[in-house]
Amino acid sequence: MRMHEPPIPAGHAAVSKTPAARRALIGPELLPALMVFAATMVLVVGMKIANHSFGSFDQLTAIMVTAIFLVVASFGQGLIILLGGIDLSLGVVIGIGGMMIAGLTRGSDDALLLAIPATLLCCAGIGLVNGIGVALAKLPPFIITLSSGITFSGVALGLTAGSSQQSVAPALQKFMNSSFLGIPCPILFIILFVLAAWLFQNRTAEGRKLYAIGSSPGAARILGLPIAALTIAVYTIGGLCAGITGILLAGYSSSATLNMGDALLMPSIAAVVIGGARVTGGSGIYLGTFAGALFLSTLSTVITTLSLSQGFRDLVQGGIILIALVLQSGRLIVGSR
Amino acid sequence: MAKSISLIRKMAGGGATAASALLCVMFVIYALHEPSALSLFGIGNVLNNTVVLALAAMGLTLVVLCGELDLSGPGVIAIANVVVATTSTGTLGTGGSLAAVLAIGAAVGCVNGFLVAYLKLQSLAVSLGTLIACQGIALLVLPAPGGEVSDAIVNTLSGDFFGIPAPAIVLALVGGLWLLLKHSRMGIWLYAVGTDEQASRLSGVNVRATKLFAFVVSGMCYAMAGYVYCAEIGSGDPRISDSFLLFMYAAVAIGGTSLNGGRGGVIGTLAGAGILTILQKMLFALGVADFYTNIFNGIIMILAIFFGQLSALLAGAQRLRKA
Amino acid sequence: MKDRRQPVLDFNSVSKRYGATVALDDVSFELHAGEVCGCLGENGAGKSTLVKILSGIVVPDAGEIHIAGQPFRPRGIVDARAHGVSTAFQELSLVPTLSVAANMFLPRPKLNRLGLVPRRQIEQEAEQILQAHDVTDISPAALVEDLPLGMRQRIEIVRALWRRPAVLLLDEATAALSDREWLFGLVDRMLQANTSILYISHKLDEIRRLCRRCVILRNGRKVLEDEVAEMSDEAIFSSMAGRSMVETSTRQSSSARPGATPVLEASHLKGPGIEDIGFSLAPGEILGVAGLEGHGQSRLFKALVGLSPLEQGTIAIEGVPTMIRSPRHARRLGLVLVPEERKSEGLFNDLSTQANISLPVINEASPLHFLNWAAERRLVEKVTPTVNLAERYLPLSISALSGGNQQKAILARALLAEPRCLFLFDPTRGVDVGAKQNIYAMMRGFVREGGAILFYSTELDELVHLCDRCLVLYRNTIAGELGPEGLSQDRILALASGYAGGARAIASSGGA
Repeated sequence: MRMHEPPIPAGHAAVSKTPAARRALIGPELLPALMVFAATMVLVVGMKIANHSFGSFDQLTAIMVTAIFLVVASFGQGLIILLGGIDLSLGVVIGIGGMMIAGLTRGSDDALLLAIPATLLCCAGIGLVNGIGVALAKLPPFIITLSSGITFSGVALGLTAGSSQQSVAPALQKFMNSSFLGIPCPILFIILFVLAAWLFQNRTAEGRKLYAIGSSPGAARILGLPIAALTIAVYTIGGLCAGITGILLAGYSSSATLNMGDALLMPSIAAVVIGGARVTGGSGIYLGTFAGALFLSTLSTVITTLSLSQGFRDLVQGGIILIALVLQSGRLIVGSR
Repeated sequence: MAKSISLIRKMAGGGATAASALLCVMFVIYALHEPSALSLFGIGNVLNNTVVLALAAMGLTLVVLCGELDLSGPGVIAIANVVVATTSTGTLGTGGSLAAVLAIGAAVGCVNGFLVAYLKLQSLAVSLGTLIACQGIALLVLPAPGGEVSDAIVNTLSGDFFGIPAPAIVLALVGGLWLLLKHSRMGIWLYAVGTDEQASRLSGVNVRATKLFAFVVSGMCYAMAGYVYCAEIGSGDPRISDSFLLFMYAAVAIGGTSLNGGRGGVIGTLAGAGILTILQKMLFALGVADFYTNIFNGIIMILAIFFGQLSALLAGAQRLRKA
Repeated sequence: MKDRRQPVLDFNSVSKRYGATVALDDVSFELHAGEVCGCLGENGAGKSTLVKILSGIVVPDAGEIHIAGQPFRPRGIVDARAHGVSTAFQELSLVPTLSVAANMFLPRPKLNRLGLVPRRQIEQEAEQILQAHDVTDISPAALVEDLPLGMRQRIEIVRALWRRPAVLLLDEATAALSDREWLFGLVDRMLQANTSILYISHKLDEIRRLCRRCVILRNGRKVLEDEVAEMSDEAIFSSMAGRSMVETSTRQSSSARPGATPVLEASHLKGPGIEDIGFSLAPGEILGVAGLEGHGQSRLFKALVGLSPLEQGTIAIEGVPTMIRSPRHARRLGLVLVPEERKSEGLFNDLSTQANISLPVINEASPLHFLNWAAERRLVEKVTPTVNLAERYLPLSISALSGGNQQKAILARALLAEPRCLFLFDPTRGVDVGAKQNIYAMMRGFVREGGAILFYSTELDELVHLCDRCLVLYRNTIAGELGPEGLSQDRILALASGYAGGARAIASSGGA
């Protein structure tokens, strides 16, 4: 009969022999989030030293505001990665969201109340298609979402003939540029969104189930967890977040183009990875994703301030993903062979 | 009984035979619509359009065979393209730029391979990182489309030798190299590692070196594809194409290589690349409007990959494993 | 008469730990030329770590190994082989998609002048090697994945010994063999060639047949080393288990109520890997399932919860015919599976122990879908006493727990669903003795309350002492059913090996 290897608890290095009373899911996962927050501080302080005009309160506020897009987009991506998947159509859906809201409102506020739900529904619908594809087709998620992105961008291209929309509802633009009680509206939005996102991912039963499915799909199946339903739901949420991002982006830029979301795809993945989540799923708290989004937005602003080119931005981003991955693995590899 | 099943499987040839058969069928259909396709010029034209995808997908096949994923192909192609466009007429010349891009491809493959094989990182994430970094490097070398590819390159790769189109020679060479690899020790190791890493390790196979090899060679294949791509467009373009990445996977999958590793081969991938190219040409010949091609690409890729995986599954479906 | 020559293998004070778990603790022994030394031990005693260290896969934390006087610190399998150590692994190390011949010469098959591997030539050579070792029914061109387990095991063994190693490790080499005499014949031949063999097994009869000396491991330590002839079965068992087996498993009165409506009744089940299986499970009953590996038990258990398809047959739950569609459905019907592979099918390594246990009923502890840790804790604490899982483990990541505690957590989780029937697949594999006792107690308690258990085990002792009845599987169907009177290890083993009717004369007990 088969004998088994001795129990190998290849867990986190942080687990010590004396059991300290730690709460579930927090602990070793907080570390990367804190490290990334620290890195962001270092970045800001460094820039301040290098360039005295950098880092004024207004500028920092502006950084926070521009972070909103990545914060929203990376939450959806983060849930999908938590499940062990990935969404490569995010950029396309953001663009579609932006184009839709612009196209439906055409510079006036009349249709806004209907346009927002319509746009969100459409973008969530694309997410739904992704989710159904991943849940049913047994093909790698990166292929499903890559091809759906290409397909839907083709559809959008056909419908809009590639033109950009110059007129977005003024109420949206006002929202992105105004303040409430001295705090810019976008930042209030971020605060509320982060709260809701964190609650969902780390304080609900459904969030717990997502961690389980990502951690061990086999065990989840035997337990009878609703894997297909949660998969579809998560990708739909991803589409929804992309739609929200598109709407906000359109309001901020006062215009919309189909490819305006493309620059957010890779950072959305990077934010999740930097925040400490494993790409195979099952680990990583939302705080980490948020920290990652904040860091990357700050980095983006720094790069722009330094007048570095897009190429440099991509190179740095790619490098950061690789470094984050290496650091992650360093924590996981406990002993020798 | 075990003997006869192996025989049947050898005759069925796994997915590659099916793909080659499909290729012939599609070529016939295409030729019926476009009789000029049967001429030497026509075939040369098809080969011309196929060779970039074939080279890139071939590299990807090696990585997929040993059980990993690689998204960095389009990034290396972009770098190769812009490097040739900026140096082939000047500093490095035709041969020098070839050597340079091969070195770059090998270097990127080294990074991927080291991180995946030796640090045990997830290949999807790593190659995503290198893809983005490569895009950055390409943009740094050539921020906007431009540059110039030396005439020597364009003429050589679009021309022919003794009546045989250059792309055909390239593909034949590549096919030949693959057959040599398949029957070498490294070939056996690639298939072993892709099938069962643990068993391979227990059998003494150097799993890490095998994966590193796959990534480095695939990097060089991507570089080669980028070099040939230059001849196609005659100038440099630093932008990577999402569609191309999907095409690469579709070619690999249609050719019968399983995305889980351990089954398939380059011959099937070459057939898959041919099928996709002819499909594109058929769509074009049917007058399908440009923006519909995106939609078709997306949907057809999915179907192609789906059925490709099915065929790889069937090829390995005959098992006598008990409970 | 002690052998005073230099030992071929000198294993000296070797230790190895994985995190908090000690796999080997200061183990020492010697192997001399031309002798077979047995290595006995329960699951988790350290045998496989020993094998891995000798094979060069794992580096020990402490201790020294010498082969023929030379220090032995292999950097891998190839290096170990170069020093004369060769292993036939328990988890077969053959690559399924390669041919027998290709596997035989891995990793470095010979090359022809072109630098390629000459397929026909290596097939011929493989054929010769197989013939030379009395294997005549395996074609060298066949792909390993097309061959049944028994043939694969033979290839694994031949592969390990054809190069005439100085030290040969046979790890559970007879697990899937239908003809053990073939192996014993090869062992004799190897001995004549002066090879040293370390024979790892938990089958006592084989150890007695082959080995003059034997080493017994328990919890990573060597607890006994002696001539086999000098040791009684009782002494061996108590060394392995740490206490007398008889004492631990006194038959208690059965809780079975055979007259009542069966909790589960299956008839003529047929599907992939299952050929005509039927049985009836009464409330309060522990029904055992026995069988050599690969004879249908894995598929049967999966099919009973809807993880594996059934082509024919009926299943009735409390008299009501039902089609079990999925594990989710099975759970709703009160059928819970505790699966085979803890690591990949049972545990959620990233979650805490508490989260692992509460998962199926987490909605009950989540008002408005928000997690309430206090409520969750109360839920979990209802079941942890039943499996004797200490509360201090609950907040820890489950990957920090020992195998026994992990299994207890998985069982606690199964109990939380308040099932009417538990399907336990080898639940004590890789579990220490103390945890095993807790699990047995839990099982007995469960059936006393009226539940029923279908219990597959690879330990014949457990089947004999825990079960009211036992089904024996052979070739994916039921070879026989043993009631309380006829339930003995001999009978189980005989039926599982395909001997219908009288038991084979086996000198003593041992695993199936």
